[in-house]
Amino acid sequence: MRSIWLVVLLAVAGSFLTAASLEAHHSSAMFDREKVVELKGTVKELQWSNPHIWIQVVTQENGTTREWSLEGGSPNTLSRQGWRATTFKAGDEVTVRFNPMKDGTAAGAFIGAKFADGKTIGRWD
Amino acid sequence: MKLMAALCAGIVCTLAFVVVGGQSATSPGGLPDWSGAWVMEGPTVFDGTTVQPRNGRAGDPGVREFPPYNDEWEALYRKHIELVKQGTFPDPISTCGTPHGFPRLMNVPDVYEFAVTPEKVFVVAENGPNILRIYTDGRQHPSKEDLWPTYNGASVGHWEGDTLVFTTISMKGFSGKDVIVDRTGLVLSDAGRVTTRLRKSDAMTMEAQMVVEDPKALKAPWKVTKRYRKQPQGTWAWDYACAENNRNPISPSGKTLTLGPDGKPIDKDKD
Repeated sequence: MRSIWLVVLLAVAGSFLTAASLEAHHSSAMFDREKVVELKGTVKELQWSNPHIWIQVVTQENGTTREWSLEGGSPNTLSRQGWRATTFKAGDEVTVRFNPMKDGTAAGAFIGAKFADGKTIGRWD
Repeated sequence: MKLMAALCAGIVCTLAFVVVGGQSATSPGGLPDWSGAWVMEGPTVFDGTTVQPRNGRAGDPGVREFPPYNDEWEALYRKHIELVKQGTFPDPISTCGTPHGFPRLMNVPDVYEFAVTPEKVFVVAENGPNILRIYTDGRQHPSKEDLWPTYNGASVGHWEGDTLVFTTISMKGFSGKDVIVDRTGLVLSDAGRVTTRLRKSDAMTMEAQMVVEDPKALKAPWKVTKRYRKQPQGTWAWDYACAENNRNPISPSGKTLTLGPDGKPIDKDKD
């Protein structure tokens, strides 16, 4: 079975492939900014709330279900970048990229996402 | 939060008084037109001219600035930098319960609004939210006996042409937990005094030239300039209800935790 997630180790710290807009209200020391995780899953919920939005994504791998909490910027800033409260809907199939937690737990700092129809949001170059 | 909402409502009323009447370059009375929404240029590093490494982000390990600290406060800053490296330098605003404080208020993301009235000028930062009141009605700072340290201190100012010159005193300063200047670990004492020259340097740019004096912490005045870029006409500023869904509380050791969807910390090491 094809692995549903891929870890990309970045050689250069501070690459453009790091999460943006996460310096609003807390330290980001828990995130590994030199690592990018890409995974495919199903959106469970978008928490469109301050001080940060959270995208809950559920993955299945080898019979194991895992729910990921991906933290983004504030709705205020993201709305001015084209996001809406409906950008992610429950049931959406997505591929997401994020800086993972250093301790390996199921969370991270959101970077970008690609939907099943090919549309992208965030940073996806 | 109720108090914050009431303050915001009061400002909206005042804004309506100023803004109604059109799009002229100056408001009635010859005051400058600083209307619109503005966003700070660059990351939330307070002194971008001295930050190392260049383009370093506040809160990333090893990032620091070079204020003219005396030995004691340089040592304190270095201690904070080490705590940042360990992930245990807490940001007071992570509790979503207190303002950022001045001068950090001039160093936050999201939208700014600069509301000019005949008696005072408001700097309204969407992030926080934070509000700075600068009285321009001729009053002086309160006497020492009538002051106590507050997050934003007390600001009085006057106009020099289109430049608002104001001085801020009686800020809380760093006492171990209350106020920081940025997340590199930068702090000032409660003896801080900031003189700011705020002006629209061109149609698209607001500029705040600040001179920070602090006889307890600094050997010399510290000059810092912040700039703010005008956003497209019609840009909205929104609520920033920080306590709405704060999934990043601080542990007793100063570590920033991450809450899962069930509201419980998901971190392996919770303290």
